[in-house]
Amino acid sequence: MANVVDVQGVRKVYNRDSLEIVVLDGITLLVPEGEFVALMGPSGSGKTTLLNLIAGIDRPTSGRVTVAGTDVARLSESALARWRSRTVGFIFQFYNLIPVLTALENVQLPLLLAPLSRKERRERALTALRIVGLEDRSAHYPRQLSGGQEQRVAIARAIVADPKVLVADEPTGDLDARSAEEILTLMETLNRDFKKTIVMVTHDPRAAQRAHAQKHLDKGVLTA
Amino acid sequence: MRHLPYILKHLRRNWVRTGSTVLAMSVCIFLFCTLQTFVRAVTWNLQSASATRLVTRHAVSLVFNMPIAYKERIAAVPGVVRVAKVNWFGGTRRPNDFTEFFPNFAVEAEPYLEIHPEFIVPEDQKKAFLADQRGCLVGRRTIDRFGWKIGGTFQLESFIPPYRVGKPFDFVIDGIFDTDLARYPGTDTSMMFFHYKYLYEMTNQRVGVGTYVVEIGDPHQATAVGRAIDALFENSDAQTKTETEAAFRAGFVSLAGNLAFLLNSIALAVTFTILLVTANTMSMAVRERRTEIAVLKTVGFPSGLVMGLILGESAALGALGGGSGLLFGWGLIRMLPSLPFIGEAVRGFPELGLSPAIGGLGFALALGLGLGAGLIPALLAYRARITDMLRQA
Repeated sequence: MANVVDVQGVRKVYNRDSLEIVVLDGITLLVPEGEFVALMGPSGSGKTTLLNLIAGIDRPTSGRVTVAGTDVARLSESALARWRSRTVGFIFQFYNLIPVLTALENVQLPLLLAPLSRKERRERALTALRIVGLEDRSAHYPRQLSGGQEQRVAIARAIVADPKVLVADEPTGDLDARSAEEILTLMETLNRDFKKTIVMVTHDPRAAQRAHAQKHLDKGVLTA
Repeated sequence: MRHLPYILKHLRRNWVRTGSTVLAMSVCIFLFCTLQTFVRAVTWNLQSASATRLVTRHAVSLVFNMPIAYKERIAAVPGVVRVAKVNWFGGTRRPNDFTEFFPNFAVEAEPYLEIHPEFIVPEDQKKAFLADQRGCLVGRRTIDRFGWKIGGTFQLESFIPPYRVGKPFDFVIDGIFDTDLARYPGTDTSMMFFHYKYLYEMTNQRVGVGTYVVEIGDPHQATAVGRAIDALFENSDAQTKTETEAAFRAGFVSLAGNLAFLLNSIALAVTFTILLVTANTMSMAVRERRTEIAVLKTVGFPSGLVMGLILGESAALGALGGGSGLLFGWGLIRMLPSLPFIGEAVRGFPELGLSPAIGGLGFALALGLGLGAGLIPALLAYRARITDMLRQA
């Protein structure tokens, strides 16, 4: 099976004042299509940085990140934005829904960039909300939803443009156990039934067990 | 257009802040439009000054009249085509009550109308006026204002002591004058003219001449002709000052010129303050939304579009403020003449109304203010890196 994510010898260095901080040091990671991978590791190990590189919201200092056949580092800012809108769906720990928009409008956001009519956008967003089980809450604002429901809306937003890859940064980190369970089940469904490749950062071993594979990072190096 | 609902929803997010910013912007545009309208009204009829007309007046002050005999001597100066006597009458319909005031002049009718082709009177009405000592010509604006008709009568009583004869002057409306604003911009059709002879007789032939309007053949000779006229009376009791009609009117509005400078300075100061207020609002709005901006960029919004959304939001603030400011201004300017005290002061201005040009300028200023205020926050959002914004959130 082809690798959707191909990270080769990636190094990421941040410069803070005169200090050079090596966050990732020679990471190589392959994620086959349809895989569900959990990235684990202690705080500051570089998990989120690696996830950001895969999602195309950051660029490596050296090395190559190829996602769905595209060398991310070679794209210009605007091309990278276009690429993200089509290829990657991002799920944040704190949902990051826009409070002034309803669930439906939040889900429609990525579609505003696509050449779709208003009706098509609405239909697609409703479909995404149906998949996450929140079609009946489409008119609700984020403040009117529970944490678990907000995260499901965020997942609907991540999948509405039908991206190949979903990246999730501690998607259950802000949820109670029951809601976390629901979210993980939903992610399994997206992986199994909708063939989405998922890369998930988590601290939670129970969440990691739901993935097909676990990768461990420590001090910027993949250890397992 | 597909992003407009997104922009408008954000404006509703903190409606108190949005409302107060719009209100501040609105007050700014309201002030700008009202002040500019006032300045325009004050300087409006400068436009109608003709290059072939000179005005001769008493050298000391307009308060003093000149002898009637000056007319023949002025007419004899080389380069002079015609001369007409003109006296500002200052009549009101009720003694010292300026609520229904309109400018009124005693003129030497025949030469005056020939010198002023901008006052267009039908020939039969002109004939009737010239033949009637109590007759008068009234401009269209005043006719419309009072609903007067040809043949109607009214009375005026002057507030100027030499013209106060113990009873009002009676007038018959013999003619109505219009103008062609395309050919003669700035012509005031709120004025009323009556015969100098009527004033002269009513004051027992004691009144002199306030100003002589002098038509000259060659506008390039204006200075030389003016000097020649003044030289005639250099050694008399009533020395004269002759100047072009434009200079004469500008003298009237020189005080208004300073007023215009003052009003424009106020408008500029208010505008700058509002720019800072709006810029602060936009900065706060953007700072609060770092995460949202990061999310927009993450889901694929290009930086240029994110910048456009913020500029759109600030332009919408400007448009809302500008729109409401224009509405306020339009309403107040309409109400001004009926307000106590200030109404009396502004009622005499022939062109007091929010013009499309000033309205358009006010709205453009509001949009400019909005865009200016949003520019720095939008640029910061444009340049901000997603990971930095997510980390700072």
